[in-house]
Amino acid sequence: MHIPDGIIPVQAALGGYVAAGGAAWLTLVKIRRKYKNPREAIPRASLLTAVFFAASLVHIPLPPTSVHLVLSGLVGVILGWFAFPAILVGLFFQAVMFQHGGLTTLGVNACLIGLPALLSGALFQLRRYFGRNRAVPNALLAFGGGFLAVAVGAFSAALLLTYTIPAHLDAAAERAAIIALSLAHLPVALLEGVFTALVVLFLLRVKPELLELEA
Amino acid sequence: MISKKTAAILTAIGLLLLPNAAAAHGVELSYETVQGIEITARYDSGEPMAGGQVTVYAPDNPADPWLTGTCDDAGKFFFTPDPEQPGWWEVQVRLAGHGDLIRIETGAGGGPAADGTGFTTLQKLVMVLAVAWGLAGTALFFSRRKS
Repeated sequence: MHIPDGIIPVQAALGGYVAAGGAAWLTLVKIRRKYKNPREAIPRASLLTAVFFAASLVHIPLPPTSVHLVLSGLVGVILGWFAFPAILVGLFFQAVMFQHGGLTTLGVNACLIGLPALLSGALFQLRRYFGRNRAVPNALLAFGGGFLAVAVGAFSAALLLTYTIPAHLDAAAERAAIIALSLAHLPVALLEGVFTALVVLFLLRVKPELLELEA
Repeated sequence: MISKKTAAILTAIGLLLLPNAAAAHGVELSYETVQGIEITARYDSGEPMAGGQVTVYAPDNPADPWLTGTCDDAGKFFFTPDPEQPGWWEVQVRLAGHGDLIRIETGAGGGPAADGTGFTTLQKLVMVLAVAWGLAGTALFFSRRKS
């Protein structure tokens, strides 16, 4: 899901930066309007960024490919609008420290991972219609959030890669590899859904106010 | 003195013995030692990138591929750069959107030298802790009590 440097054409990378810039601006505007004191939400966002940053180093061996945790769903569920800036910062550190992703593709990756995270956050907020403190709806929505973020991200990445295969490559082989990699993300999506649900259940029991967006 | 008849026969035999490429069944093997480059492509989890598609770019033309190929099951790919073109060769390996580019210098510097980066697990751990501490510090800074 992290697209490295030199894989996609320059136009796509530039478009990614434009889209990510727009999304970052939009989320910051939303944060300013929604939070009375945005500073109070920063500690939570900062810690979740650390979790997101480290998660990509946890590899899950799923032959024939190698996949890793993303945890974008968890970030979206817990942070809401803060998820996008948090993921942007996390991706930046992943790119400069581990060449995981790349600086030229930072915008594209922020869109591929951050936008589905916002979607997960919106989904989880539906809990206000099902009872904020009831365990079952919370767990189900959290599972959906964790699952969706990875699934939508992997699917959009596959679409983007399929439409930008360079002419000199063996397109059929590359397409097959892309499909295999996308399918390998399905177990990851399930796993992250379960993990997100467990985290939400845990927080619901010990510190439910952490699940409220307006701190 | 060789008679004219003998000379004619010898000439005919000589003509028959002339090497004839189209009809020859002999095989000639020759060899030449060249310096090649073996690329090993692995995911950062250590698994070989079997079936990765390799694209080699020559130093004078970084836009058009000079050679394309595929990694074997151990993630290895071997090629011999053109000795006429010393300089930085670029090799890209990609598979399903994962991939990396390595630059290899040939020629003037003697043997090929690579500029790949790889971290050990301990180095990675220290880097993760450094960034995590930075973020935790940010969290602590913003959660301090108002005086």
